[in-house]
Amino acid sequence: MMEYENTSVKTITNSGSGGAGVDAPPSTGPPPQIPVKKKRNLPGTPDPEAEVIALSPKTLLATNRFVCEICNKGFQRDQNLQLHRRGHNLPWKLRQRTGKEVRKRVYVCPEPSCIHHDPSRALGDLTGIKKHFCRKHGEKKWKCDKCSKKYAVQSDWKAHSKVCGTREYRCDCGTIFSRRDSFITHRAFCDALAEERAKTGTAIPTMNAKPEVDDGKVTESRKAKVVVAAAMETASAAAVETASPLDQQDPEKSTGLLHHVPPPSSTLANTSGAAASSASATTSSNSGSSSSNNTSMFASLFASVSAATASHCSATFSDLMGAMAGHSDRPLGEPPSLCLATNAGFPSLFAPHGRSHDRHPFAPSPASSHMSATALLQKAAQMGAVATGSSFLRGFGLDASSGQQEISIARDSTLQWGHQRQQLLEPEPEPVPMMSAGLGLGLPYEEHLMMGSSSLYGAKPATLDFLGLGMRPVGGGPNGELSALLSSSIGGSRLDIGPGAAVAGGREGTERKSTNPANP
Amino acid sequence: MVPLMGNVAQDDGSSSVTSSPLKSFSLMSLSQPALLPCAPWLRELKSDERGLCLIHLLLNCANHVAAGSLDRANAFLEQIALLAVPDGDAMQRIASHFTEALARRAIRMWPGLYHALDSARAVVLPLAEAAVARRHFLDLCPFLRLSYVVANQAIMEAMEGEKVVHIVDLNASDPTPWLALLQGLRARPEGPPHLKLTAVHEHRELLNHTAIRLSEEAERLDIPFQFNPVVSKLDNLDVESLRIKTGEALAITAVLQLHTLLATNDSADARKAAQRAPPAGITQQLSLGDYLDKDHGANGHSPSADSVLSPPFASTSPARIDSFLAALWGLSPKLMVVMEQESNHNSAALTERFVEALFYYAALFDCLDSTVPRQSVERLRLEKMLLGEEIKNIIACEGWERKERHEKLEQWARRLNAAGFAAVPLGYYALLQASRLLQGFGCDGYKVREEGGGRLMMCWQDRPLFSVSAWRC
Repeated sequence: MMEYENTSVKTITNSGSGGAGVDAPPSTGPPPQIPVKKKRNLPGTPDPEAEVIALSPKTLLATNRFVCEICNKGFQRDQNLQLHRRGHNLPWKLRQRTGKEVRKRVYVCPEPSCIHHDPSRALGDLTGIKKHFCRKHGEKKWKCDKCSKKYAVQSDWKAHSKVCGTREYRCDCGTIFSRRDSFITHRAFCDALAEERAKTGTAIPTMNAKPEVDDGKVTESRKAKVVVAAAMETASAAAVETASPLDQQDPEKSTGLLHHVPPPSSTLANTSGAAASSASATTSSNSGSSSSNNTSMFASLFASVSAATASHCSATFSDLMGAMAGHSDRPLGEPPSLCLATNAGFPSLFAPHGRSHDRHPFAPSPASSHMSATALLQKAAQMGAVATGSSFLRGFGLDASSGQQEISIARDSTLQWGHQRQQLLEPEPEPVPMMSAGLGLGLPYEEHLMMGSSSLYGAKPATLDFLGLGMRPVGGGPNGELSALLSSSIGGSRLDIGPGAAVAGGREGTERKSTNPANP
Repeated sequence: MVPLMGNVAQDDGSSSVTSSPLKSFSLMSLSQPALLPCAPWLRELKSDERGLCLIHLLLNCANHVAAGSLDRANAFLEQIALLAVPDGDAMQRIASHFTEALARRAIRMWPGLYHALDSARAVVLPLAEAAVARRHFLDLCPFLRLSYVVANQAIMEAMEGEKVVHIVDLNASDPTPWLALLQGLRARPEGPPHLKLTAVHEHRELLNHTAIRLSEEAERLDIPFQFNPVVSKLDNLDVESLRIKTGEALAITAVLQLHTLLATNDSADARKAAQRAPPAGITQQLSLGDYLDKDHGANGHSPSADSVLSPPFASTSPARIDSFLAALWGLSPKLMVVMEQESNHNSAALTERFVEALFYYAALFDCLDSTVPRQSVERLRLEKMLLGEEIKNIIACEGWERKERHEKLEQWARRLNAAGFAAVPLGYYALLQASRLLQGFGCDGYKVREEGGGRLMMCWQDRPLFSVSAWRC
């Protein structure tokens, strides 16, 4: 206090300059007082001609430097003090601005380590230098009650309190940002975000403000998804269309359409992969993964984007499978094989007339990657027929239980088979594509079956109601039984095998993504 | 010799170029049972076609093997051999391991052959190989680490405030979880407890290695630590040798161990059942479709499935598991953490086991395929020496030999409840730490989720593969 008084007194009495509260550097007392220098400053500073003033820390931090001696009331400005002194009937004097032109003043920071300590980096404004000193070298005495941020300058604190909590960017991981730029930066590296993206398969979780960075990806992946969906629709439609006239051309067409599917899906995968990778390029993971789309770089134990990509791919294909399956529930006037074909994505595998077709049974699978083993198994199960080794075998009358087909020697089977073949060829017009369907592997029906060993013994394959179609048996009793057997045992896909579909025996309420049975 | 392509007799003149390779395949098989090796068109098969082919072949083969018709099984095996390689894509690898298992299974029909071959190849893999394979499993897949993290969290929570903590590890080949636990205990607000670790393992060398590692770490962290090795197989473990003091705060961890105790000498019955013709059309042969439809919570030895086989297992000696669990319960542990495979590989019917195993290991091989490069030697070793051996055990072995008797958590829960254990829900923090670990692992396909009752399932793409649960006495 004393010092203040002294200083202020000195100021009042000594200083010849007017102006609001300008302090001339006191010659004695508190530390580092540099007398007014008149220096030329380097170009670039506001005013090379300006007078450089160095003030003491105390001076800079001081508030209410002007104190009334009567009542000790403090004032920031000398003028205000003078006016106050009038109230005490004390002599007062308002200082006038000096007549001669006021020299521009610039101020240096007294803290030696500060950049503004150098006169060439002096600040041009007294208030500015005071605030600067407070902020940088002062104690933070003001605290925001909402967010506990601390400030040294009261006006900073006030300004902050006004905006604190008013404008927020909230990341999905829970962190809150008041500044857009920090929000955007955070989101690029947010782990939670990466998870979110992976789950939804798009690059965008919902957020208040979307940074531009992700917008591109979102749009892209959304578009990709749309394209995929559209392609799937088209593809399945095409597949069904090709059903009726089975000629060589159609497989190509539908195949071609189906082939369109892969690229978007790969794009989708790549996109989300890329998005995921940028998201996952965090703390300790190898950022090298971001560029690769192939399975690689496992050494660092942080599976790369490729994992995301691959898993996206298989997920997509399973989706495709499901969608394909879903699309196949059209009432068929057409041979069931086609429905199956649709279902399984085989455009036209099964010629009722035994034509050989160019098959691309797995058109949905893209050239770039292949289905996971799990997806293959599910697909096989959906195709129903393939899956069941047992019912498949039963389908061919090879049920061990019935005891009639105990075949011990493969040669027998071949012989028998040869015999059977004639029978097979007979009911040519009778489509028994389900057999081939049973194989699910695109074998034309009368070519018999994959395994020579799986000979058709008791059952005439032509009549095998393998999929519970209820087709009339050519043979006698056993076949009928077998049919019933098959119907009851097949839990596989509920393929809508048009006419006489008798899949009623199958399981109800299957949860798999298979078609709804169209029970007549 | 039938030319492979071009003799598409039935065709309407379609050119050989466009004929389906699969069709040619069948043609070939028609004309002669034995297949020509390395048919050129085989290479034309796309991976998915090939995969479906393999599935079909595998199922057929399994059915034949189960039914005992080995000639046909042999034919299938031949065909599979053309397509399956242990270093191909996921499906090929699976197929190669499953066919080996089926082949071994088929050989059982001739016990002389079987045993001759068995002793020729080491029944138990050399110790070092098995340890290496397990190490690869720890490194390449997050499942073990997840379970460690969860177990440690559960232990820390259960042992809050305890001054002395005694942990029994039923398969202590791996010091990893305990290193982490030591760190965790160090950071306890009330300071670390005195830690006693009783480690059970078949082989002394591994125990020694673990002992050294842990003692060093404990010293470094300045935690009073005591390591008691118990060299014993699990199924003849004497709980007295664990030296549990009454009233001690005890935690037991059983990671992928308990299922070996389900082994029992049910092989005789199984064989009988296989030879007898099962009544028409029921359940012994399973369809993939059935599998998918089935409630996955179905238990292992459901009487319905085995009704066909009918011999009641009265003549078999009961598995060790019940007495073992009872003995553990008698130790009054504060906590027991159990990690098991989440699949039912213990049904008596081979075909059921086959299909279940097929789906399960397909998921496992898939996750490796998605995260580890194909040419990785570690992955090959893991698949061959750990997973492949499990598959062989599930398919080819019976009776006491069949140790990999995985069962689903529901089954285990029933057994544990019957033995007197009550479930302890794994806390929120356990799940949180598990999720964090997965995030750090960086692969999207792995998931952890909580199931009813505070148990955690570790999944690959929604297929649960391993379960972790906690119990108290």
